[in-house]
Amino acid sequence: MLNTKTIDKYSPLADKLYQLIDDSGHPLNKNWKPELSPEAIQQAYKDLLFARTADLMAVSYQRQGRMYTYPPNLGQEAIHIAAGLQIKEQDWLVPAFRELGTWLAKGVSLKEVFLYFKGHEDGSRFENAPRVLPVSVPISSQLLHASGLGYSIKYQNEKDTAVFAFVGDGGTSEGDFHEALNFAAVWEAPVIFVIQNNQFAISVPIEMQTKSLNLAVKGIAYGIPSLKVDGNDFFAIYDALRYAREQAVSGKGAFLIEALTFRAGAHTTSDDPSKYRSAELEEAWALKDPLKRLKGYMEYAGFPLPAPEDELIASFKKLIDKEFEAAENYPQYRLDDVFDYMYAELPDELKRQKQNLINAIGGVK
Amino acid sequence: MRYIFKFPDIGEGLEEGKIIEWYVQKGQAIASGDPLVKMETDKVVTDIPSPKAGVIAITYGGIGDIVKVGSPLVEIDIEGVDGVAAQVVAAEVPAPPSTEAVDEKGFGVVGTIEVAGDGAYLPAGDEGISAAPAPTPRKKALATPVARAMAKDYGVDINLIPGSGPAGRVMKRDIERHADSVRLKEAAAPVAHEVPADTRDDYRYEALSTIRKTIAKNMLRSKQNAAHMSVMDEVEVSELVAARTRLNAVLAKEDIRLSYLPFIIKAVARALKNHPVLNAELDLDNERIIYKNRINLGIAMDAEDGLVVPVIRDADTKSLVQIAQELKSLIDKAQTRQLSLSDLKGGTFSITSFGSIGGYFAVPVINYPQVGIFGIGRLTEKPIVKDKQIVIGQMLPISMSVDHRIVDGGEVTRFLNEVLSYLKDPLLLLAFEGVNHEL
Repeated sequence: MLNTKTIDKYSPLADKLYQLIDDSGHPLNKNWKPELSPEAIQQAYKDLLFARTADLMAVSYQRQGRMYTYPPNLGQEAIHIAAGLQIKEQDWLVPAFRELGTWLAKGVSLKEVFLYFKGHEDGSRFENAPRVLPVSVPISSQLLHASGLGYSIKYQNEKDTAVFAFVGDGGTSEGDFHEALNFAAVWEAPVIFVIQNNQFAISVPIEMQTKSLNLAVKGIAYGIPSLKVDGNDFFAIYDALRYAREQAVSGKGAFLIEALTFRAGAHTTSDDPSKYRSAELEEAWALKDPLKRLKGYMEYAGFPLPAPEDELIASFKKLIDKEFEAAENYPQYRLDDVFDYMYAELPDELKRQKQNLINAIGGVK
Repeated sequence: MRYIFKFPDIGEGLEEGKIIEWYVQKGQAIASGDPLVKMETDKVVTDIPSPKAGVIAITYGGIGDIVKVGSPLVEIDIEGVDGVAAQVVAAEVPAPPSTEAVDEKGFGVVGTIEVAGDGAYLPAGDEGISAAPAPTPRKKALATPVARAMAKDYGVDINLIPGSGPAGRVMKRDIERHADSVRLKEAAAPVAHEVPADTRDDYRYEALSTIRKTIAKNMLRSKQNAAHMSVMDEVEVSELVAARTRLNAVLAKEDIRLSYLPFIIKAVARALKNHPVLNAELDLDNERIIYKNRINLGIAMDAEDGLVVPVIRDADTKSLVQIAQELKSLIDKAQTRQLSLSDLKGGTFSITSFGSIGGYFAVPVINYPQVGIFGIGRLTEKPIVKDKQIVIGQMLPISMSVDHRIVDGGEVTRFLNEVLSYLKDPLLLLAFEGVNHEL
């Protein structure tokens, strides 16, 4: 378990990686025991399997022409499930766009997720998850929102509240990333920055992205305690996020986690990864698959799967189909709703443009 | 029930895909989500899963075939209902009006943006503003001192005028419009009856055709890049008229009829040979002029869909009859949309004979990056002075535009004089036929 003393052993400046289980799921240290109960670990396994099934089905719906461009999560889900367990109801989730499991844990419904990727504005309005920001498509811009939220938490003296902010490896090259880190650091804002380093910014490999030793050192540069974690090791990322949140809410300010992982699928459904990475690399990372490693640990520790995997998947598929059908049967968006969500009161110029649009398309539709 | 599954756009603006492998065949039972076919597209190679459970009734296309987005891929008999009682189309998923693909490096990293239906667009200016609600006086209208003074001159209260500028600012045009409407109301005041509301639409929207988009792009490129200069002149062509009449009388036996265009093509081609800078291209990036050794004349044609400019290749080496026959073939192709890329590319200079429709002079737009375009207006009988007598002349008006970046007025005028000399006396063309002679 990480604490203020052991954290020093994992300095990013020495390029250390925080890891608890090996590729087969066996503990690296025989004396290590997870904090989670067997039931909680079984539940985490089910959550991961559910998120993975929903993700694969989302790709399938897209291929059926029933949904627009979608970014697959496959291979990165341990981070999302662990974050889902550590994020509290009062905490803010500031997503990038590839952290489905955390959204679901926060109370976002699959119907809402599907609506978003069907291009519906209501897919950014989460009925049961008030403290989740919608996806901010310009890469890294969300981190500025996160630093602002963190500052407001401090300013309003909200107790035991933190911000979980996600970004990818490519996002660390954006100016916004650096501004957000700088201000979160000087304001000592309770923000946990999670970099999902899946090693490719669409098609750009990490070595073409940065000359830094790793991405966690970028946090060090701004005076933010930072840690590089095996993002496919559910227990390591779970523990790292627990420690990060404890630090953040105890007044020590921001924390940065680089979660090393691999996107097993495409960047989005419009992308073909075989054009920029080798089959060997994909095969090597398949051995580190987070679901496989979690199951490996369960087998090692001797607790059974909650149910046969294919049965679980079959029951999940029914639920997911239902959510998707609910999204398909949802009232269609109006074309003029693009005007509706930026301002509480629409400025005159936009009112005029909105009316123009309605006139041009022949009424509200 | 029969369900028709159409090939969806799976990659932000795809047009088509190629069938790589079929996973199903007629009569096969499938579950929803089962792969149907492997498709190769511009973006990805991917399996297309079935949106429905049922039995495959028809598969469309064989391996290697191209399928357009929106064309049927398979038909599935859905369990529960027999036969083809009802046909349901895949696109019955509440479809958005349309989507616009977005450049990956910009916005579209994770999505597409919805746009208004095809053809719907916002006017850039203030046209199309809906009828403004009845004015209620504001405390003080937002306006510049100039606008305030103007309202005062018109004798209207500026606070009553709806503003169309930023944040409701009252613009000069608002005041003019308001003053006009006040005047109209006053003029109409004695009439007791009310004019019924005009319910006609102010605008009609139509999507641009590909050819229109190409023309728009090319014209703008020309006007933005070339330094247009135009010269106009007219030439007396009685001898050309007579020569053409004589030739047509002979050629009629062979069912060939010459218009004036072949003569003009020959005249321009011959003169280009002697003034190569007009048959060139400016390569500013490399600080050089590219001289083109072949004389390929683009001939502007008014086809049904819009302007096309097919090319007569090596026009300087061809006879009048050859040119006439090629022209006829190109005109036929243009009218039946059969022109191929090879008919259209490689032009080095262009000719437009707008006069065949009408008009005397014009300012033609250069077919960029060519140096010039030669325009012919309508052949017209006009009184002219000849040997101190007023006689009737056959006048052919000429309008020519060139790119002044490459060529100056002196050389253009010398070129023009040479062309006009051939049109005035077509025998001259014969004099140098087949010889690379410099005048």
